[in-house]
Amino acid sequence: MTNWRFVGGLLVAAAIGTLVAAQQPATGGWAPPKTPWGDPDLQGVWRYEASVPLERPAQFAGRASLTDEEVARNQKLEDEQAAQRLAGAEGAAVGRRSVGESPIRGNEYNSFWQDHGRPRQVYKQTSLVVDPADGRIPYTPDAKKADARASARYGAGPYESFLDPDTGERCLTDGVTALMWQGPNGGHNRIVQSQGYVTILHEEYLDRRIIPVDGRQASGIRQWFGNAVARWEGSTLVVETANFVDRTNYEWATIFMRPSETLRLVERFTRTGATTMDYRITVEDPATFARAWTAQIPITRLPDETLIYEYACHEGNYAMPNLLAGGRIDAAKRQR
Amino acid sequence: MRTHHATLLLGALAAIVWCTTGTSAHHAFAAEFDSTKPIKLRGTVVKMEWINPHTWLHLDVKRPDGKTERWMIEGGPPNALYRRGFSQKSLPVGAELVVEGFRAKDGSLKGNGRELTFADGRRLFVGSSGTGAPRDGKD
Repeated sequence: MTNWRFVGGLLVAAAIGTLVAAQQPATGGWAPPKTPWGDPDLQGVWRYEASVPLERPAQFAGRASLTDEEVARNQKLEDEQAAQRLAGAEGAAVGRRSVGESPIRGNEYNSFWQDHGRPRQVYKQTSLVVDPADGRIPYTPDAKKADARASARYGAGPYESFLDPDTGERCLTDGVTALMWQGPNGGHNRIVQSQGYVTILHEEYLDRRIIPVDGRQASGIRQWFGNAVARWEGSTLVVETANFVDRTNYEWATIFMRPSETLRLVERFTRTGATTMDYRITVEDPATFARAWTAQIPITRLPDETLIYEYACHEGNYAMPNLLAGGRIDAAKRQR
Repeated sequence: MRTHHATLLLGALAAIVWCTTGTSAHHAFAAEFDSTKPIKLRGTVVKMEWINPHTWLHLDVKRPDGKTERWMIEGGPPNALYRRGFSQKSLPVGAELVVEGFRAKDGSLKGNGRELTFADGRRLFVGSSGTGAPRDGKD
């Protein structure tokens, strides 16, 4: 009887092992370099360089992947854009894009936010969200309303006070959740390791996370970025973050970024090649989501010479007075 | 032929959807600038402020009555412009240029830059501002 229990235990362990293995990114046998103290070396400037939508568009409902023909079409589009960039006579003129290529909410102007002169990568994924299977963020009904409200007021206000612009417009932060793949300047992130720590410097707002990897427990002090602790699982860095402050009462450009006291993030960083990383984030927060969701994001290591630039967002920033001045004009028009 | 057009349209729509990466952004165009007030200014560069999250170009514009107005034009974020090849030398002080864009809602001498044209005809895209900038074919 004891033997059967043992065999049963082995089978369960094997099944769990298979499940875990199925969730591991394929590295094709490639082993990452090691730091002098023996940890996998994730250092460098990393950036999300594709244009896969976060949530699956309706036209791809039921499909997790594009067909080969669709991939080829997108590759052709990217190649044409790259050629246009190369054909530009003056640096900043390079990379102007078509209306159809507009990356943001039907707003064609914003393409440069996503562009720093490098070609974008084409992937088969139809959405970054891979769980739930429909590729959509599982908002609670209340959060869905809050998200619709945030979308409606984005760029439209009302702007009655400095509290009305969203956290990004206020130069505060766009939150931890999207830090590794978003950012108007292309989401540049420099990862630096020292013994017992991994530090991630996000260019926009110079958001930074100093994450202990030394076995300690997370601190109980609540912060905007929560308390993160990390561990290695093979070559994967697993970062768990909790103890966020509640900032659900702030205006956020997109609701999925907002922290609450019940937000919990689990991130998995796995290098899959010299310039590729499989980054996955599982987001759990009953204050906003009906269930946990996971996004799988391919990110790219940029050339060694890539720099993270200064990003003081407040000094000399004319945007806030301009926003409020525009708000007064809009309010006067409404009164008339 | 109709099928061909339909295919093209579907392809274009797919491309739009494909490229719609959900992202946060910055100061929205519609909040600060008036898309019904396009401006075209001929002036000389006074200075370029390389500040986040938007650059600001200052230029002196001569009015028909001979008086000079000093305008401020908002451009893209310095880091993004720099990575795309825009440098300190791109807009030397004193350079003559034409700026196209949209005027601030409050009617002040501020605008949102869309494109610059130098005296020799070279054009430079400055990035304009956020959500709501009108589609005018220059994007």
